[in-house]
Amino acid sequence: MSDSITFISRAAPYGENNSKLCMDIALAAAVFEQKINYVFLDDGVYQLLSNQSPEAIASKPVGAALEAFDLYGIENVYVDKNSLSSRNLTQQELVIKAKVADSDLIAELIQNSKSVINL
Amino acid sequence: MSTLHTISKSPAKGLLSSCAPLLKQGDALMLLEDGVYYSYQNELDDLLAKGFEVYCLSEDLLARGPADKNLAESKLLDYEGFVDLCCEHDKLVNWF
Repeated sequence: MSDSITFISRAAPYGENNSKLCMDIALAAAVFEQKINYVFLDDGVYQLLSNQSPEAIASKPVGAALEAFDLYGIENVYVDKNSLSSRNLTQQELVIKAKVADSDLIAELIQNSKSVINL
Repeated sequence: MSTLHTISKSPAKGLLSSCAPLLKQGDALMLLEDGVYYSYQNELDDLLAKGFEVYCLSEDLLARGPADKNLAESKLLDYEGFVDLCCEHDKLVNWF
């Protein structure tokens, strides 16, 4: 078992706080040099849409925060293939480069992690 | 290297369909709080057919009125049994 932590982010941005919570925990863990996998699943894939303008609802764009992943050394970012296709989305519409992963790969990430944060 | 998944929200939230594809052999599923309503439904059949162990917290089920249509008696765990189950697995993944 590796010593990585896998984050599964399942919430759409703005409507509830979970997407931001999940990201904050991951960034905090990254500061402590933990190995991190970050997975966007279900409605979580909506966080990745480019061209978000949440200023209209007095919120900060999630996409900008995601670009910080690079700075924090979070490189293993995945997006669930089925979640994209069931929402009629393609990889080209996403704001950051995330690896498209199928269920088997994500199951393996979970299996090989020391802990899993599922929000 | 097995994982215990828990579902604690009603089937209306659709969490089982998110969780089920991510189970690996040896993993188990525990239903608690409103998640016990899954035991009233057929949605568990697929998992059970694939040989996954599915457990249910008896206190939460009894509180809501046991339907017990899909789960054998042996799959009903009290809090102590739930703790034992947690210890049998390397980690927990909570779906809520």
